[in-house]
Amino acid sequence: MLAALGSMTIPLATALLLLLLRIRSGYWVILSSIASLICGGLALQTAMQDGTVHVALGDWSAPLGIRFEINMLSSLLLSYTALIHLLVAIYATRSRHSETRHSDYWPLSSLLHASLAALWLSRDLFNWYVTLELLGLGAVAMIALAGRHAYPAALRYLLLSLAGSLCYLLGVALLYGRYGALDIGLLGSMTVDDATTRIALLLITLGLMTKGALWPLHMWLPDAHSRAPTAVSALLSALVVKGPLFILWLVWSRIAPADFAISIGPLFAIAGILALIGGGWSALRTAWLKRLVAYSTVAQLGYALLALGLLLHWRSVTLSVALWLFVLAHGLAKVSLFLAAGEIQGTLGTKRVWALKGASQTMPVATFAFALAGCSLVGLPPSGGFVAKWVLLQPLLTEPGNWPWAVGVLLGTLASAGYVFRVLALTFNRAETNQPGHRPDLFAQWLAMLPALLVWAMALLSEPLIFWLTVVSDG
Amino acid sequence: MTAWIELLPLMLLLSSLIPGVLIFTLREDQVRLRVGLNIGAVLLKLLLVAVMLYGVSSGYEYRFTLSFLPGGDLVLQADALSLQFITLSSVLWLATTFYAIGYLEDSPLRSRFFGYFSLCVCATVGIALAGNLVTFLLFYEMLTLATFPLVVHRGTPKALAAGRLYLGYTLAGGALLLVGIALLHAQGGSTTDFTPGGYLANDAGHSGTLICAFALLLVGLGVKASIVPLHGWLPRAMVAPAPVSALLHAVAVVKAGAFGIIRVVYDVFGVELIAELQLHVPLLVLATATILYGSIKALQQRELKKRLAYSTVSQVSYILLGVALLGPIAAVGALAHLVHQGLMKVTLFYCAGNLAETLGIHSIRELDGVGRRMPLTMIAFSIAALGMIGVPPVAGFISKWYLGLGALEVGAGWVLLVLVLSGLLNATYFLPLLYRAWFRPAPPTWPDERPLGNGRPGWGETHWMLLAPTVFTAGLALLAGLFAGASFSPLSWAQLIVNREFGL
Repeated sequence: MLAALGSMTIPLATALLLLLLRIRSGYWVILSSIASLICGGLALQTAMQDGTVHVALGDWSAPLGIRFEINMLSSLLLSYTALIHLLVAIYATRSRHSETRHSDYWPLSSLLHASLAALWLSRDLFNWYVTLELLGLGAVAMIALAGRHAYPAALRYLLLSLAGSLCYLLGVALLYGRYGALDIGLLGSMTVDDATTRIALLLITLGLMTKGALWPLHMWLPDAHSRAPTAVSALLSALVVKGPLFILWLVWSRIAPADFAISIGPLFAIAGILALIGGGWSALRTAWLKRLVAYSTVAQLGYALLALGLLLHWRSVTLSVALWLFVLAHGLAKVSLFLAAGEIQGTLGTKRVWALKGASQTMPVATFAFALAGCSLVGLPPSGGFVAKWVLLQPLLTEPGNWPWAVGVLLGTLASAGYVFRVLALTFNRAETNQPGHRPDLFAQWLAMLPALLVWAMALLSEPLIFWLTVVSDG
Repeated sequence: MTAWIELLPLMLLLSSLIPGVLIFTLREDQVRLRVGLNIGAVLLKLLLVAVMLYGVSSGYEYRFTLSFLPGGDLVLQADALSLQFITLSSVLWLATTFYAIGYLEDSPLRSRFFGYFSLCVCATVGIALAGNLVTFLLFYEMLTLATFPLVVHRGTPKALAAGRLYLGYTLAGGALLLVGIALLHAQGGSTTDFTPGGYLANDAGHSGTLICAFALLLVGLGVKASIVPLHGWLPRAMVAPAPVSALLHAVAVVKAGAFGIIRVVYDVFGVELIAELQLHVPLLVLATATILYGSIKALQQRELKKRLAYSTVSQVSYILLGVALLGPIAAVGALAHLVHQGLMKVTLFYCAGNLAETLGIHSIRELDGVGRRMPLTMIAFSIAALGMIGVPPVAGFISKWYLGLGALEVGAGWVLLVLVLSGLLNATYFLPLLYRAWFRPAPPTWPDERPLGNGRPGWGETHWMLLAPTVFTAGLALLAGLFAGASFSPLSWAQLIVNREFGL
């Protein structure tokens, strides 16, 4: 219990400390992420032994107080957040192209980390609202770090994010007015299938989908994620959009009346497939490297949305395992893709996809990182993406009636293969090699490689991972 | 002691994976170290293969498992069938490594080339050793990824276009294969490991599902095995350097597809289930169509490598034909042809590479009189070409003989007609080449002659590292035919496999 809370409070304390102390910020953040990661690991170990633990903050129990729930999934997500933050922080301190070394990045990224950790632990609708706001505002500020050219994207993100928050808050208020509770455990036992509940749930969903850039409310994401500094893009794609998804999953699987969830499920699933195809198509067409990676986030969130929709529709446990496997695999792969893309475009001096000609020679490590991470997105074995897709496919294929959904997954695979290999094929162009402006930084390239190696290592850990996630979904 | 034996399949895999990864880290100028790693790895692999051949022939099965997916462990298992493929790939890897070292002397990016080259062999060995479909898929995709950089190695726009096409075909095929495998898995069942007689035979599910799964697997594997109409990538992939083409056509890619189909028919569905569901009929039709279509297309080509490429399309489908006939004798023919075609085709591609590198010969018209300038190369070429046609005593005759007998055994006499027709077509597209090379007068100058050897016919007609592998594989193709009855010939080993698969 202490470990889990520590994993949240350490980055928070660091953020506050860094507001006062502006020397060696990077090292402080790295240290705090390591500490947070260790705490996350300890929390995971405790969760394995003791199962789910509830914490009433200040000894006030629900409905008056705020409840934290520490289980296998929250601890796993805590560790995952700390790990990603650590990897990105090392890159941001070390790379020439990070654009964030001497800026307000450090307190902001720690704040982001802390609010996300609080989000994973909370089980209270209003507390989630607070964490969402912190997350959104922190993210907007970090995008704006890129300078003047990022302001329009940041502003659009801010406005849409606020609109999303309002929708969410309205839904929460409706539920509170109707049932007088905000704790999802309590709400889950009280909700009945009536018009107020339905409208409240739809408003909450609308808000969360906007904030989580889930198709078709993703329009802000490609601009925001591609204009941001490289380290920020990685954090946004790997972590920030996953927060609203987490809430969405819990709201629909714990609070929503069963009949309503069953009937709304296919809509989520169809949106997921459209996201896969639409996002993939846009990624295939765009001329800008980081935009391509950002569109791939839109597409990959489609897998999560598909899993969410079908798990609601069929009340299936395996699918929530698939959902979280996708989240973990996508996060790691996306960090690698953004760092590699940032390194490549910084070194080659242009932001176009076209610039990658000959990169397999000039920047082999970054290209290899891009390839490894990309293959995980496509779902080639033995990567984390493959494991997730395998777990997703199993329930789709047991009944012939479910096969059309599998076709959706197949289309998604082909679309992602299209945009990943479009880039990779270019890097092998030796005829018109694009020579880098200065010597490529090997260490930074290896930093981009590390998360890609981790996502492939995920495949070897797939059995315990699937087991842990199954335990959570049963509970 | 047992633990050490358990690890043999893994060691076989690592014996090309580790050198491959190490080679990536080498600088371009570390030639000796790179060559040493390459040759050392291939010799180590051959040693391991020899040990395992001995073990398997005396009835031992090597097995190594690692937990992976629920119900889909990573299983490496060496049975008689895997060793047939592994032996072929190891021997040809030895030859091709020498050939590639000679071929790429002083050209750029050799570390990258040999790194992917080793990974490619690792993937091939993995495909052979795979003990279930999940493991098979893993290495099948790895093969796609490892061969792509080899295909586009030259980095020209033409190579890139071919590479993109190759990726498009193979990744789409891989995706379908994944769905097919997942579909079979989702049906549940007691085991998913390859079993002689088919693991689905005992707890067969719904027949519609099985047919769907078979169709998905067939398309997924057929892309690599270049079954018509999924063969489009193969002739275009000819832009790759000669050693890559040789490897692609003889062992790595097309054979991986054919080998996969063999596994699916014998060890996943089993002959009885296939016959019950009538699944061999579409396979027969496709194989026949591919054999004839490939030969006809080969006849129309004017470029040497393209003609050879279409000839591969046609020849690989003999393997599928033998499998689809479902009889034991035809199976012997198919499995023997897996090796025989590999030996002959690799020789043909080495020869084409020698001609292109030494004299700049690319099109068939330029072959006139080349037999007197490069007699050893052309003798090797002639042996392999005659073998392809099916002239005794070269290896190709043996496989066709058994395919014919097998067809008669199951009462499919029309297959003989296909064999005769295809043999005639083979003769029509190979004999003119031999005629030009040996009987036409040589032109005053060759298109683009380079001083690779001493310029005199014989052992100095080209670089010795190009010539030696050519003569070696041609010799093997001849020996495999001459000594087909010997106990360690590919044919005898194929009989051993069939005895175990069919429980004879």
